[in-house]
Amino acid sequence: MTKQEILSLLKAKLGAGFIAHTEPIPDQLWVEVKPQASVQAVELLHRTTKARYLVSVGSDERELKKRFGVYHLFSFDKEHFFVTIDVSADPHQPVLPSITNVIAGANWSEREIRDLLGVQFEGHPDPRRLVLADDWPNEVYPLRRDFDYSSKPPSNPENAYPFKDNPPNTTVVAMGPYFPVFEEATYFRLYVEGEKVVDVDYRGFYAHRGIEKLGDASLTYNQIPFIAERICGICGFVHNVSFCKLVEHAAGIKVPRRADYIRTIMLELERIHSHALWLGVAGHIIGFDTVLMQTWRMREPIMWLCEKLTGNRKTYGMNLIGGVRRDITKAQVPEVRKKIDAMDKEWQAVLDAVKDDTTLRMRLEKVGILNREQSHEWAAVGPVARAADIDMDSRKDHPYCAYDAVDFKVITADTNDVWGRTVVRILETIESFKIVRQCLDALMELPEGDIITEIRDEIPAGRIAISAVEAPRGEDVHFLLTGGDNRPYRWRVRCPTYPNLPTVQVMVKGEQVADVPIILGSIDPCFSCTERMEVADVNTGKIRVYSQEELFNWTKRKA
Amino acid sequence: MIISKLKEALICFKNLRVTFPYPLKRNIEALPVEGFRGKLTIDVSKCIGCAGCANVCPSRLIIVTDKKAVRRLDFYLERCTYCGRCADVCPEKAITMTQEFETATNDVHNDMHISAEVYMGTCQRCGRCFETQTILDKMMTVGFRNNQTTE
Repeated sequence: MTKQEILSLLKAKLGAGFIAHTEPIPDQLWVEVKPQASVQAVELLHRTTKARYLVSVGSDERELKKRFGVYHLFSFDKEHFFVTIDVSADPHQPVLPSITNVIAGANWSEREIRDLLGVQFEGHPDPRRLVLADDWPNEVYPLRRDFDYSSKPPSNPENAYPFKDNPPNTTVVAMGPYFPVFEEATYFRLYVEGEKVVDVDYRGFYAHRGIEKLGDASLTYNQIPFIAERICGICGFVHNVSFCKLVEHAAGIKVPRRADYIRTIMLELERIHSHALWLGVAGHIIGFDTVLMQTWRMREPIMWLCEKLTGNRKTYGMNLIGGVRRDITKAQVPEVRKKIDAMDKEWQAVLDAVKDDTTLRMRLEKVGILNREQSHEWAAVGPVARAADIDMDSRKDHPYCAYDAVDFKVITADTNDVWGRTVVRILETIESFKIVRQCLDALMELPEGDIITEIRDEIPAGRIAISAVEAPRGEDVHFLLTGGDNRPYRWRVRCPTYPNLPTVQVMVKGEQVADVPIILGSIDPCFSCTERMEVADVNTGKIRVYSQEELFNWTKRKA
Repeated sequence: MIISKLKEALICFKNLRVTFPYPLKRNIEALPVEGFRGKLTIDVSKCIGCAGCANVCPSRLIIVTDKKAVRRLDFYLERCTYCGRCADVCPEKAITMTQEFETATNDVHNDMHISAEVYMGTCQRCGRCFETQTILDKMMTVGFRNNQTTE
């Protein structure tokens, strides 16, 4: 479908509900609709045109336009553009109709907007708190512009999180907030009947760091890439590139071609080491520690290579708006190639050994099913969607950096299960080796040193941009509305785990308790990404901190 | 089944021990490479007190204060993210990122704190401080005073 067809469809069906449309940048269609028509508009896009839902973004625009703006973002993958449904809410009584009954994947987005901005969604099926801490006072909305980023409201210890009621004849198995599988805090409440999982409830967002708030209240454009990189410990470079792409898009900055290639190389190196890490962790979860030891051993030379190229093994600090900070010189190219070739050889050996391992296949096949329809419904991304036979990859669908110039395949599987996700990740890594080699060839031809276009003029306010970058875990979407003071007005990060984590409740239903960790692991969850935002209140009255001495005495007593 | 297990065993036997006995022995492979961004140092004799580093620092750990004839730069490195932006923008290359990575300490406030003091030049007419002495000295030799004949 072309943009014109979508416009005429929306105009015809919505009638008076359609207000206006614009095309702020070439790959975007911006449609403004009335609140009462928003559900119908979203339904048309989601069901009729089969557009993929990305995220809903809320923004406090009371100073600018006397409204709260809510944007529902959609992607037309094969047509390479984004469509945004723009809805306004009243600045004093912000109430909008909920779209969660149409798209299950909008559940979290709407709850988050309600928590942080106070826009109520009528008819939301699960209106519990999502982002804010339990003891956060009611009616205090931290992402509103009039809430100072450093203020600490008083704790309200009476609030308790209302978990779902037990389904009849079930027992509660609590997983979390800290449990042996993952190093990050999250809480899953499993309702089990014998060994079978009947239902599941989730409470997370224990690790808020207020990153988005800092981005639009304190930091400047060239400082944000460094905090964006710290959103995630593994795919930091992706967030970094996403943010830089946003600003470059919004301000029309042209990045030197060499910088594009360097970014592509670093993105792919990150994918390689992330998939190696994931395979190891997955092996560890199911008790196959040989994989953990060997893939992590293979990963290490790649990390050292990154340290050599960028100055640090993980948080590379490579990007600035307009380009990269360090060049990969022609003298360094042979070494990168050597390391990649060595890893490629070892990775093939792992693939060869693992693919026929019957123990592994028995453990992973037909476990954690998420089919094509469910995947569309929950807006799943990355290897989870690709294992459900959905051919989506933002590297192909919304080409950025140098991905338009390299040749690679999008790996899909049709098994819908954990094994499918494993195979997709292993084969994807092999494609990554190919991409890095092609980029290295290109680097040899381009002139050295031309790696950054410095920003000389002020970045204009009121511009809008969306960027989608394929992280190892899936698609990472950033949204930006530029503001004055050399900083964003609203910057929204939607990491790949954000849409993928809710799909766990679909995947685990009817499975064995013992399979829950690997199902959860199969989406490659990253809680630090998902919980990137919000101002944390550390002065809660409820928590008691035990002193070192007390803890020490406890351990002595037990022993 | 058995073949894939054998293949897995082969991968393991090919690479027996790969870890290093750090910190008992410091293998060259385990040490930082050239270009690594470790703990920063500042060469006070080069600093002109322009505070460009304080402007770009993403974690805002460089504090500049003027007290009478001294401009003081405080680096609270416990918050440092090792991005190296300060070293990039320093016009005099007074800040460098070293190879030092073992910064664990029990006394973070003192061990991870660097301060640099730059003396200010005073105006001969009014007696007030107006610019750091380093930049005034520099201006005598390069730049505006065009002592070197260029063309």
